[in-house]
Amino acid sequence: MSDDGTRLRVLEAVATLVSDGIATLDPQGVVVGWNAAATELTGYEADEVIGRSVSLLYTEEDTARDLLATELDGSRGSGRFETEGVRVRKDGSRFRAAVVVAPLTGADGELTGFVKVLRDVTSRRADEAMFNALLESAPDAMVIVDPDGRITLVNRQAEIMFGYHREELVGQTIEVLVPQRLRGRHVHHRDGFFAAAQVRPMGVDLDLFGVRKDGSELPVEISLSPLDTDRGRQVCAAIRDVTERREQAERLRRQRDEIMELSTPVIQVWDRVLALPIIGTLDSGRAARLTEALLEKIGELQAEVVILDISGVPTVDTLVAQHLLKTVQAATLMGASSILSGVRPETAQAIVHLGIDLGRLRSRNTLREALQLALQIVRDRSSAMSEAAADVAGAAW
Amino acid sequence: MSETLPILKIGDTLLVALQGDLDDAAVVRIEEQLTQEVARVHAAGVLIDVSGLTVVDSFIARVLARVVAMIRLLGAQTVVVGISPAVAITLVELGVPMGHLDTALNAEQGLALLRRLRAAADHGSDR
Repeated sequence: MSDDGTRLRVLEAVATLVSDGIATLDPQGVVVGWNAAATELTGYEADEVIGRSVSLLYTEEDTARDLLATELDGSRGSGRFETEGVRVRKDGSRFRAAVVVAPLTGADGELTGFVKVLRDVTSRRADEAMFNALLESAPDAMVIVDPDGRITLVNRQAEIMFGYHREELVGQTIEVLVPQRLRGRHVHHRDGFFAAAQVRPMGVDLDLFGVRKDGSELPVEISLSPLDTDRGRQVCAAIRDVTERREQAERLRRQRDEIMELSTPVIQVWDRVLALPIIGTLDSGRAARLTEALLEKIGELQAEVVILDISGVPTVDTLVAQHLLKTVQAATLMGASSILSGVRPETAQAIVHLGIDLGRLRSRNTLREALQLALQIVRDRSSAMSEAAADVAGAAW
Repeated sequence: MSETLPILKIGDTLLVALQGDLDDAAVVRIEEQLTQEVARVHAAGVLIDVSGLTVVDSFIARVLARVVAMIRLLGAQTVVVGISPAVAITLVELGVPMGHLDTALNAEQGLALLRRLRAAADHGSDR
């Protein structure tokens, strides 16, 4: 490959394969080689341009300021010249080109010409314009941050949400939008995200807050996605103001609590006797609250008997029975006896057919009968208690 | 847990309050001292108060079950008192079998329950 002719043929062969426009020039900038991609890009066939100066692609302004000399001299000086500018096609239309010019030298080191590579970056520009338009039209505040945590780009929504002008934000660390009390932790989390970046919501299940320029805070939801750009990895944070949603959720939670409260009433029906009328379906959450409320009351009122009335439960299946049994077991551990009441014939059939073992749990058809049994138990217990007290007194004397 | 277990005797009933954390050594002490005391005074009933324990978990539940079985072999009945709502829920959620334990809300009701258990045992029926 020492022979210049061979080298040139290799170069031309390579040039036909690549998708960038490649022109080989003589030392004065006259075209000597022109690949297919260059034709594609500019509209000039090879035989139309070979022998003419490559400056035929320049705009009038660029020709006037002798861009050709700048490109060739620049390339000769440093071995490589890169620029980006507008070029003109054969049909007069313009495109934006990224241009690289490199000198070619012969075996003895003297300049034999140049190779010029042209790439159409119009579409990249269009992409950027689209990206910016998307960014600006997004309903969420968007903030783009570099690995040092510095804000590189914000959209209009971010300006509105946080009360800053974008010039005030760009270059600041992202923590300027984080309440003071959370900043230290945030820096730590941010480093962690850059180390293992993936698209994900930030702080799942955490209540996140942002802070406005005036110092007021707002609840937010943030979604993070890494952006790999030519300036390195950046992170795009989409920030949504969830003030209204949080308030709604809070209201909903309060209402649910109230309903729970209403749906699990523990009634003291007699001295040391509690009744728990269960109405509606018994799921695990409700069963837990119910058990909790019942046990608290047992402790508070020193109750000895608990009547669980299930006449208001539409169907008793295995799951409901399990919940009931757990409640009974917990009450038993605290020392209270349980009576099941309100068992309808179809419920009784279902329980037995399902093979549910309610153990030694006493059961009555109606609340009235259950209450009679409860009072009987309390009476038996209190007489046993006074006898026990007499024993103790007798032993003490 | 101190070296000696404070055991009160009222009539033919023993009262024990378990307190703090129970480690393996403490459990061995409880088993030894309680069984010896039951045999020594011919106790008919034992009341164990667990309200002073820092944690009541499945380990403690097994310990209680063992102690109850030992005391039963010595011819006495045991009632456990002082299980709080939180502990009751935890034990049930852990699925710790507690059916064999006789429990009462407080010492007073515990004594009454002991009496009933004894009467039932004397008559040969189960509770």
